[in-house]
Amino acid sequence: MHAPFSQLTESLIRHRGVLGAMVVGLDDGVMVHSTLQVGVNGNAFAALTASLYRKAQRSAGAAGFGATGFLELLAEQGRVCAVGGENLVLVVVCETRVNVGMLRVDLLRAVEQLS
Amino acid sequence: MKLSVVAGWVEFPLKQFVDDARVEIAVLMHPAGQVLGQYGFARSIDVMTACALASAIHASSSELGRQLEGKPFSALHYMGRDRQIFLGAIPAQGSVLLLLAVFDSESSLGIVQLFLEEFKARVAAAAPAVSSGQPPALAENFERDLNHNLAQLFGRA
Repeated sequence: MHAPFSQLTESLIRHRGVLGAMVVGLDDGVMVHSTLQVGVNGNAFAALTASLYRKAQRSAGAAGFGATGFLELLAEQGRVCAVGGENLVLVVVCETRVNVGMLRVDLLRAVEQLS
Repeated sequence: MKLSVVAGWVEFPLKQFVDDARVEIAVLMHPAGQVLGQYGFARSIDVMTACALASAIHASSSELGRQLEGKPFSALHYMGRDRQIFLGAIPAQGSVLLLLAVFDSESSLGIVQLFLEEFKARVAAAAPAVSSGQPPALAENFERDLNHNLAQLFGRA
């Protein structure tokens, strides 16, 4: 039997350079479902990225920019991308070489399934 | 808000946890309710009440865990409307301590759980070993120790 979000995370991890895809509770930062490569600390990414996404939502709200959509954190050796549904956020951890355009399209498509 | 501790080794792990996890209140205590360090409370009576309640909750949930799974639950989380409570068991050199954390929307359960692991490691490294010859927590001097600890925390020792 497949978990409700397994198809979603498994399709995202097929992108070249993606190290992990997670569905995370937006308010509690707890991982609901994940597909991760060995060595990726999913719980840490889940908690910290959900916190970041909540703060981005508040920042966008304070600036009068409306709802937050796609969030991307670019670091020296990798990227974290997140896109939020109503109560869940879809988090993808990837290497810098990932095709962000393709990933972004797939994430925005996937997030529709979360709502 | 000031962090106050009874034992010196508690200060660094507790301060790091409070800073990292962004909790409003954090209290480290013995399972019997004797406080070792606290952040967020201004009055000793509040610490005493929180410790007594946390100790009772831990005892109840541990027994519930034993009944259900044959072992005590290691953590308890309660989500209120504005604030949440996390109560976790912290292994410390042959004994177990309790950490009570209260947090709001600035933090989250995931964040608290994440930094709890680091806190556990720091406590395990810093806590003094408990010798098997030590008296049980509910000894005749329990109340005296409790009051002494509270007085130390709030500068009246």
